[in-house]
Amino acid sequence: MKLKTDRDDKASTSDTLLSKGPNRKRTLKELEVGDVAYIVDFSDHNDIAKKIEAMGLRRGKKVVVLQRLGRGILVKTSNSRIVLTSDLAKNIEIK
Amino acid sequence: MKKSIKVAFAGNPNVGKTTLLNHLAGTNLSVGNWPGVTVEKREGFLSYKDYDIHFIDLPGIYTLEPLSEDEWIARNFLIEEDPDVIVNVIETTNADRDFLLTTELLEFGKPMVLAFNMSDEASRRGIEVDAVHTVELLDIPAVKTNGRNGEGVDELLDSIISASDRNHPPKPVVYGERVENALRAIEAGKGNGRIDKHALLELLSGNDAGIEQKVDLEKFYRNKIGNIISDERYAYANGLHQEILRKKKMSSRDVTDKLDKVLLHPIFGFLIFLAVMFLLFKISFDFSTPLMTWTQNLITGFLGPLAASALTSLGAGKWVLGFFSQAIVGGVGFVVTFVPLIATIYLVLAYLEMSGYMPRIAFLMDRFMHKLGLHGKGIIPLLLGFGCNVPAVMATRTLESKKDKLLVMTMIPFMSCPARLVVFSFFAIMFFPHPAVVIFALYLLGIIIGLITAFFLRKTAFRGKLSHFVMELPPYRVPRTKTVLKIVWVQVKNFLARAGTVIFAASVVVWVLLNTPPGLKNQSDSAAAYIGRAITPVLEPIGIKDWRISTSLIPAFLAREIVLSSMGTIYSAEVPQTGKEIEFWPALKSQIEGLGSAIEESVVSLFSPTITSLQADSENQNLVSVIRSSFTPASALSFMIFLLLYTSCLATVAVMAREAGNKFAIGFLGYSLVIAWVVAFAVYHIGSII
Repeated sequence: MKLKTDRDDKASTSDTLLSKGPNRKRTLKELEVGDVAYIVDFSDHNDIAKKIEAMGLRRGKKVVVLQRLGRGILVKTSNSRIVLTSDLAKNIEIK
Repeated sequence: MKKSIKVAFAGNPNVGKTTLLNHLAGTNLSVGNWPGVTVEKREGFLSYKDYDIHFIDLPGIYTLEPLSEDEWIARNFLIEEDPDVIVNVIETTNADRDFLLTTELLEFGKPMVLAFNMSDEASRRGIEVDAVHTVELLDIPAVKTNGRNGEGVDELLDSIISASDRNHPPKPVVYGERVENALRAIEAGKGNGRIDKHALLELLSGNDAGIEQKVDLEKFYRNKIGNIISDERYAYANGLHQEILRKKKMSSRDVTDKLDKVLLHPIFGFLIFLAVMFLLFKISFDFSTPLMTWTQNLITGFLGPLAASALTSLGAGKWVLGFFSQAIVGGVGFVVTFVPLIATIYLVLAYLEMSGYMPRIAFLMDRFMHKLGLHGKGIIPLLLGFGCNVPAVMATRTLESKKDKLLVMTMIPFMSCPARLVVFSFFAIMFFPHPAVVIFALYLLGIIIGLITAFFLRKTAFRGKLSHFVMELPPYRVPRTKTVLKIVWVQVKNFLARAGTVIFAASVVVWVLLNTPPGLKNQSDSAAAYIGRAITPVLEPIGIKDWRISTSLIPAFLAREIVLSSMGTIYSAEVPQTGKEIEFWPALKSQIEGLGSAIEESVVSLFSPTITSLQADSENQNLVSVIRSSFTPASALSFMIFLLLYTSCLATVAVMAREAGNKFAIGFLGYSLVIAWVVAFAVYHIGSII
């Protein structure tokens, strides 16, 4: 359990390097501070994904990563700033 | 006969709903509970022209889809309570997001008013609302408001009244053809009467009346019904946004982004956080101490003697005077002395919360908190706990997982609240050369015990992976002084009300017990002494050997500050009554001068880099010196620790019971008592050796 959380904390560079296949979907979790991307879809439409959508992170929206601290990612979309943890960010596909 | 109107305020979090309501209902705002649940409900009343208007502030939500308790409450209110008008408050600069909720509210087909709030921010960003077009489009009024200065509030009020008088539904929301057909089929199947769209959509997503239509739609779109409906709503919301709002190209400088670069910096952000915490602590003490000394003087040196001489001249007997000086001045007056401290703490916390910094602390601290198995988001209830444990316990409902919620709840009572600080500042000043250090250490001890408790619970009863979280960081805003002062006033009013009721009652009971049986010569033969001595064996190992203190601890279970009013009542019986006469005008003049210099001292002390106040200066007060004789520094410390850790607050235990069940609350109370005793025992014995 402990090991897994620790791994989640590290910025996702190692993940990206390990799986750089052409068909692999990129997720919000992999973005670095300053990166800009567009939300494509949620890989799981569960309740928390619905809440994130209602908060403004919707399909087609442009997001900018403002800051990353530990497992938290701060993104800006339109006029709102949203913090979400990396386990939620990996559920959000981007391009 | 006035016409009554029930108005529901709905909107996303942080859109300034409550501030608008503040403008509308003024000081007639009250906090209650939703029936059946324990979430705070803010409501206000206003009598205006021929109308009695009842405002209800629904919880801030992003959607009406019931994902958590807040959405359930809002949804159930709209369905069951049937408001006459819904006011949808929209953050104009974030309208594209807010229109989802607007769409869902429109589905109810109730008279509605749109309040486009924060119009000042919007015009700075070149965002314009087309109010005329909104009326054409939706057949409901749209008002531009600014919660900061109250602009547009009168117009909003008039729109609410005319919407209620007109009692006309908005133009119906129309979704895609297939969905509309399905809804029509369900409505026809139901037969009698018109059903609102919200209810129809709930039927469509359920497994009952709309099952046939649901299966058809899911087959056609190859998607789940929930997603189909969401897509329709988002499409409609987008349409609204494009029709109603115009954006001019404007170079917008965003202060929030710039501030966040520093305040959320991995290193500087953390250092600034520590500095902010120190500053809060410093302001709370340094600003309030001179004012507290002044209040104390006002009560014991002016109001008390003045009233006593008035009573004497009215021919009041010894008995009445004794009751007055002990139960009222000694008991209630003693606690009222601390009003400046309480007001300052609420002031500081209100600024922290309203400036938008509070949720950022959660983001900053999650790095450290989650290593301990705690949620960064959980830090918000903990910070609120420094203001009052009761709303802090209620605030745990923002945590999505039940485990996290219970975990944070077991930490909150260890966060020291102003009621405890009142006791600490009294004892620390009396016994220690550096009271500020002692008080800081006590706060820290509370936090550490809270962390240890949570850590062990995470390893045992609440095992499991730490859950995710998502939260919004609102833009930084400079809180309006008027709004902040209003919040502080409500808290001070509550405290004074408590002083006038619970604390007064406790003082009276203690006084009566102290004078039972009647005609008593020696206080140590009174009923109060008998009761106190009965529990002394339990408290003796932690250094509390005097019956007068054990007795004071019993009514203190209602609220901690009662320990002081009770001690005040008991001990002031021993203070020789000087019965000094005061001359009214010179005394009044010196009180006013005293206030002036107290304010000056308060302000000046803010500019020194360390915590300057809380110097032992209350030497020659009779009551203080009598109480002092019952303690040693070690037993005073042990007493403070005991009161810090043991949940000596009926309101906190009650709210925990409501939020998490009786078993949990009683179990926690027992735990806190044991922990308090053990730590106090250790500190007392170590302290006695040193």
